[in-house]
Order: sequence, then structure tokens, then C-alpha cells
Amino acid sequence: MCEVMLDRRVLMTYSSILPHAELDLTQSPQETGGAQRASEFYLQCEERREFLFRRKGHFRLKMAAPITLFCWRDWVYRPVSTTAWCSGESVHAGSGPGSPDVVRVIHTQRRGHPPATAQRAAGRFYEPVSDRWRFTCSIIMEDEHLSQKYNADYDLSAKEGADSLAFISLMEEKLVPALIYTFWIEPKNYVDVTRRWYAEHMPFPLNFFLPGRMQRQQLEKLRLLRGDESLEAGEELEKELYRDAAECMNLLSQRLGSHKFFFGDSPSSLDAYVFGQLAPILKSKLPNGKLQQHLKSLDNLTNFCTNILLLYFPRDGRESSSQKTSSQPEGGDFDHVPNKRRKQFLSALVALGAMLSYALLTGMVSIQHVQQEALEEPPDLQPIGSHDHDEEGDG
Amino acid sequence: MSLAADAFVSQMAAAEPWPENATLYQPLKEDQILLSDCASSLAVQAYLRMCDLPVQVVCKANAEYMSPSGKIPFIHVGNQVVSELGPIVQFTKAKGHSLSDGLDDVQRAEMKAYMELVNNMLLTAELYIQWCDDATAAEISRPRYSSPYSWPLSNILAYQKQWEVRRKMNAIGWGGKTLEQVYEDVSQCCQALSQRLGTQPYFFNKQPTELDALVFGHLFTILTTRLTSTELAERIKSYSNLLSFCRRIEQSYFEGKSS
Repeated sequence: MCEVMLDRRVLMTYSSILPHAELDLTQSPQETGGAQRASEFYLQCEERREFLFRRKGHFRLKMAAPITLFCWRDWVYRPVSTTAWCSGESVHAGSGPGSPDVVRVIHTQRRGHPPATAQRAAGRFYEPVSDRWRFTCSIIMEDEHLSQKYNADYDLSAKEGADSLAFISLMEEKLVPALIYTFWIEPKNYVDVTRRWYAEHMPFPLNFFLPGRMQRQQLEKLRLLRGDESLEAGEELEKELYRDAAECMNLLSQRLGSHKFFFGDSPSSLDAYVFGQLAPILKSKLPNGKLQQHLKSLDNLTNFCTNILLLYFPRDGRESSSQKTSSQPEGGDFDHVPNKRRKQFLSALVALGAMLSYALLTGMVSIQHVQQEALEEPPDLQPIGSHDHDEEGDG
Repeated sequence: MSLAADAFVSQMAAAEPWPENATLYQPLKEDQILLSDCASSLAVQAYLRMCDLPVQVVCKANAEYMSPSGKIPFIHVGNQVVSELGPIVQFTKAKGHSLSDGLDDVQRAEMKAYMELVNNMLLTAELYIQWCDDATAAEISRPRYSSPYSWPLSNILAYQKQWEVRRKMNAIGWGGKTLEQVYEDVSQCCQALSQRLGTQPYFFNKQPTELDALVFGHLFTILTTRLTSTELAERIKSYSNLLSFCRRIEQSYFEGKSS
């Protein structure tokens, strides 16, 4: 166990930060009336190159200084609850709207390494700024830890808390396999979207084999979830999974009704979880977008997602809308054709020119002006003329 | 089941009424059956009793292999074989018996969500305790699971099953949990169920639904099964309304039968 106290004096016992260790950051129970466990964190400690370890347990952050959270920005992850705030002496993750802006969330795209590969990630993720540490971490809300009470859930009644758990289980059972299939197993989506995402963000030469490895892991996971060892991508599997997912989305839509959030007017962890699952479906440009279509047909869920995006991810909201307008001219395969044709034409021209010049230079093809000169010259100059001809022939 | 098979079965099911000789198959009760299988089986039995559909319980050593999906229990009705509570509920619905018709959409959504909660947490916790906890696996699960078979088949089957379950636990993220955390999860699940139940006799209205059957199956089995430690049963006992719920269902539907 080690203690992490992020205060002005920044004590961090590095020696006990080992991979897969558990940091027990105990929280003084008086503040919140009970032990509160935080969500699962992946922390990278660049200094010792000790990489991923899960930080569970209680939080005690005696801090006056805010922590900065770097979060992976792509839609690949569940971009949930990236606002964490400090109240008094404890940190809770949640998306409460009234939270004091003590923590700055910085999205890094440049350093976007997915958690699974962060073990091999190089590069400096932290820099001591005055006497504050910055951690790179991604708050991934694992469902089993969502049952811990967060400040965002303080307003929920007991029944609503129970409902949260239940709906999270429902999504985990029905929606997550379909998501795995959509992003990783479905051939078109995987090749066009997912693999390219990851490959773009990984350093060479990892981008060649790591996405493939992740795909195999996801396929394995799907097989185990379904209990069928011989699962392969195919029409039937897709239909089954999408049917379950559609049912799940319908149920969520029925539960949401016409409210702004699932429980009243302020968001809770269930909202964050649902958003985290649905937003990637909604926002990614997938070639095979059956789930997307179904989700778009459910108006209240779509509005729910866009609402949260606008409220809590304003920068992303603006960027995605500008991305949409800029990508529209490029949208569709036909628009690529003019450039492609021109490039093809140019390359064909260059190839032809290269072949011609090679042929000329090596003498396979020669340009002879024999007939013209034969007409112009008098017959007694023929020996000299023929000598000239020979030269021209060789030249 | 695939979509085509589903539609086919529903059609076939709707054609005939419920026969008298429907049977439910499960592993041997005294020697072989394990906690998770017993819970699932009891849930199905409770559901069928709630629907007032007669069924005989037959114990066979190879029930797991007879089952179409590999899971216990399964019922043999007419000329169809259906396994697991979800498909069985759909099957009986096709025959015209349903417990959840009176629910509105929101309630049905909640019911499905809570059923998934029980499957996700309670069933997984039971599997974890049986197979991933070394003490329990060595003392109880492996000997019981392989009791009908002779050596060396018994060893092979038991370890194969254990390995399978452990792989699944790893895949869903339970592989790294300690026993204490699993007990915590069970507590939370029970707390959620207890809060949802409140002071009502059943989870929805005054009528039991498949959710009640499922919850009863799991909780009753955990309370009455001997494990290496009584921690799990103790945790459930701390929720008094769940205890009275179990007793109520036992008295109403299993009266006169030792369960």
C-alpha cells in the first residue's frame, strides 16, 4: 500500500508503486459519512516507467491544489465523467453540474495511448509543475465500481440507486456485446474505423500488430460472454446481437421517457454510463451503422446524448460540428474520384515518360530523319551524308 | 437461440397446450448439483409453479450435456426442449401463460433490468465462489461435480469446468477480485433488491412475476446451501424483507414439499 498525498509537499512513495498494486488512499470518514470508493483509475507513472496499475480503494487527497486529468479523447473509450472535483478533502468523480471547478481536465490527443497499450507507451506524461504532480489517467467507469456512491448520486433515493445498478447490469449484458461486435468484429467497421483510429495514435512499429491483437482479445471476450467458442463474424450473430441491443435501447428509452436525465434534473452515474456507451455509437462514422440507425430513431436518447455533449464537452461539441461541415464535401466515395483520377493520370504519365526516355536512351527506339535528308542532299555527297546518318542513328 | 429457431419454436409452442408430462431436468440433487445450477433450477420451478403449470423434476447425472445450451435447467415439453429461464419464459408466453402482462412499459423495463442485475451479480458471484475460490472448489465443487464419474474422467471434467469458468470470470473482469469484494458485490445487489422490494409482497404490484421467481431461486438456495463459510448467507440474512419474501414464496408455492 502506498499513500498518495497530493499537497504542496507532494509525497509519493514511489518505491511501493508497483504494477497492479492497490493504492489504499483512505478517506477520513467524517466528511462523507462513510467509506467512498473511487472508480477505477489507470495511472501511469512515467518516472519509474511503472505502468498501468489499478487504483482502487478510498481516496484521501489532502490537497489545496487541483489535479489535472488527462483523458484520452477519442470516442473509443467511454468518455464518461471526466470532470472530477474536489470537495473539501476528498475527490469524487462525477458529473455534477454545480461542482467547483477545481480540477482541470485536459484532453490529450497527441498522447492518446489506449490503456491496453499504455504499458508500452513511451514519452513523458507528467511534468512537475511547481510542486504539483500531473497524472495521466483515464477515468473509466467500470460498472462494478459504479455501485459505489459518488457525490453525483447523493441526491438519488435508495430505489433510484438500485435502479441504476439494475440498468447498468442490463446494458452490460445486452449492449456491450453488440458494441464489441460493432467496433471490433464487424469487418468493415473494424478495418475502416477502429483499426485506423488506433493505428493513427500508436507509434511505429506498434501500429502494425497491436490493433490486431486487441481485436483478437475482443473476439475472445465476446466468445466467452456468449458462451460459444466457435463464434465468428456473420449475419446471424450480428442479427442476434443487434436485436438484443435494440431491445436494450428501447428499454432505456422507455425508462428515460421525456426527462432530461434518468433521475430528475441532475445527472447521475447512470447517465454517465449510458452516455459513455451510446455516444460512440452515435458519433462515429461507421460504414455498417445499423445500431446507429436504431439509436437515431430513438429521439429521446439522441437528445440525451447531444445534451450531455453540449453541456459537459463543449469543446468536443463544437469540434465535432465543425468536423461535420468540413468532412461533408469529402463524404461519400464519389467525391474522392477527381483527385484520384488526376493522381492516376499523372502517375500514368510519369510512367510513360520514364519508359520512353529509357527506350530512347538505350537505343531501342530511335528517331531518324532519313527521308528528309535524302531528298535535300546531292548524290555526290552521299558518303559524307551516310556518315552523318550513322552518327545520327547512334546519337 | 437463433432468430429463425426462436420464431419456429414460438410457432410450434403456440400450437399445443401445456401437457401433463412436462419434465424438468437437473443434475442429481443430493450429490452432484452445485449452488448456481440449483439456484437456476429452483427459479424455473418457482416460475412454473407461479404460472400453475405442472412439471416433474427429474434428476439425471448428464443433465448438463443433454441441455441444448449447456446450461441447467431445461424442460422437456411435448417435443420441445428449452433451457434457461429467459427462453422458458418466452416459451410459456407463446403458450399463453404469462406473469408480466399486467406491467406497463416502464415497469417491464425495470423488471428486465433487475433480472439482468441478478444474473450479472448474484449468479456470477455464485460461480465465482464455487470455482474461483480455491477452498470451495477443492472441498465442494470439484468433488460434487465429478461424483457420478470414475477416475480419471472425474478429474478431467472437474478441472475442465473450473478452467472454463475461470476464463469467463477473467473475460468479464471478475478474475482479479478477491472473495471479500465478491461478498461486497452480493451485499450491494441484495441491498438494491431490498430497496426495490420495500414493503411490498412482491416486486411489482401484488402479483409475482418472473423476477420474483428468479430472486427467490437464488436467495433461497444461498440461504439453504452449505458452503465452506457462512458469510454469504449472513449477508443476505441482514436484509429482513428479503428473508420474509423468500419465506412467503416458499409457503405459497412450495407448501408441503421439502425443498
